[in-house]
Amino acid sequence: MSSTSQKHKEFVAEPMGEKLVNALAGIGEVLGKRLEEKGFDKAYVVLGQFLVLKKDEELFRDWLKDTCGANVKQQGDCYGCLREWCDSFLLFQFVLCQRKTYQHGPFI
Amino acid sequence: MPVFVEDPAQFSKPRLKSELIAHNVTLPAVESKKQVYVELYLKHIVQKSAADFSSDEEDDDVVEVQDSQDFEEEKDPEMLDPSVLTDEELKTTLLKYGVEAGPIVATTRSIYERKLQRLLKPAQPRQNGGTGDADQYSDSEGDEESVSQQGSPETVSLMEENLHVDIRMVPQSWNNKNTEYRYHQCFMPLSRMFESRIPLSSSGPEIKRGNNRSNNQGPRPRPYWQEVATVDKYTMTNRSLFVTPKTSLFKRQIKEPVTDVLMEMFPETEPTPTGIAATRRRPIKGAAGRPVQFKYPDLPASPMTLQRWAVEHRLVPLWVQILVFFIVACLLYLIYAAMEDSLANPFVTLLDNLSMETETEGLSLQAEP
Repeated sequence: MSSTSQKHKEFVAEPMGEKLVNALAGIGEVLGKRLEEKGFDKAYVVLGQFLVLKKDEELFRDWLKDTCGANVKQQGDCYGCLREWCDSFLLFQFVLCQRKTYQHGPFI
Repeated sequence: MPVFVEDPAQFSKPRLKSELIAHNVTLPAVESKKQVYVELYLKHIVQKSAADFSSDEEDDDVVEVQDSQDFEEEKDPEMLDPSVLTDEELKTTLLKYGVEAGPIVATTRSIYERKLQRLLKPAQPRQNGGTGDADQYSDSEGDEESVSQQGSPETVSLMEENLHVDIRMVPQSWNNKNTEYRYHQCFMPLSRMFESRIPLSSSGPEIKRGNNRSNNQGPRPRPYWQEVATVDKYTMTNRSLFVTPKTSLFKRQIKEPVTDVLMEMFPETEPTPTGIAATRRRPIKGAAGRPVQFKYPDLPASPMTLQRWAVEHRLVPLWVQILVFFIVACLLYLIYAAMEDSLANPFVTLLDNLSMETETEGLSLQAEP
């Protein structure tokens, strides 16, 4: 997706660790403060909520709107950010179809 | 409309259980549906109380009518006000509408209530009734409509399909519906399998295996997938043996070349302080003829992979390595030999002797004439 922001790219590039909720794409200062007031002070807490909602987009958007009043774009950014982070870092025990990807060398 | 003041259909299952126990009624099997509890409740408890008010004949009629109406009445009061539902009832009601709800906890409850309200509002919700396809793809349709992003609908739809396939496999197998199963072996996350396994009883895997035998007309790879899914929960390495020959069959089952083909990952992980396993996902390159679009720059692979690559592929050819080795060895020897104060080395002494002999020979030759 070429329309992802810099914040998004930074977030999905590495494990979130102890990053604050402001580090999420779509969550700025105002929304971040509201989330913190509700107890979602770290990004991983929001991740927890995202996972509890089974990564469902509609539910997560609703929840985000409920909790911090995010608009549609912010909801979408945050959802996309978390979903891609999960794709990369949340361990999925997928079938090893990717042995064939080793055809090229180690350094692409 | 029920005659009774209290509608047992509105009671929660635990409440029904306790009521039955209080009236010394034998409980049905633990896994019985709530309907069974309601019927038992009505049979035993309602008859007891209603005997005070009316004759037995009326009781029987009313009870029978009540039983038949129970199923619908159970819905009506719940449909009107999701907030009076218990967590379980909310979850089952959502399931009736084809929504596989996650855990209903404090933070998620309001969201699910609102979702149920939204489902109740339209007269003919698209998730309701219809074909199994509609049920399975309900969430994906909703997602596609509500989201303008390109990649997310397919991802979510695929994931939701997997979710629905997983959860639906057991109940629908009882109805012998095996036409709508969509599964993507390469895309099937273990987390989904965990979810499918946890709510199911221990007979789940057997049911699935039974499904294999009973539905032999189903797509061929399905039994493999199910077997893999049930047998291979912890050892991921064996899966590829089951799946790799069948990957070509999945082409037709994928809706379109997805930009998020990136579901595939290898299980190599490294422990992190946060406990979240951090492995980089790599898109499939040309596996099973699927087009691949790289979304992220590739990061260096894990040490295991690097080792494997190093063994399989040499950047520098072998003969060059050996040649370089010999050259370096010769250089080192020459350096060592050039040292003036060489140690007592038999070679050195031998060479010295030889050189002395040649010198002496040379001298002697010179001296003779």
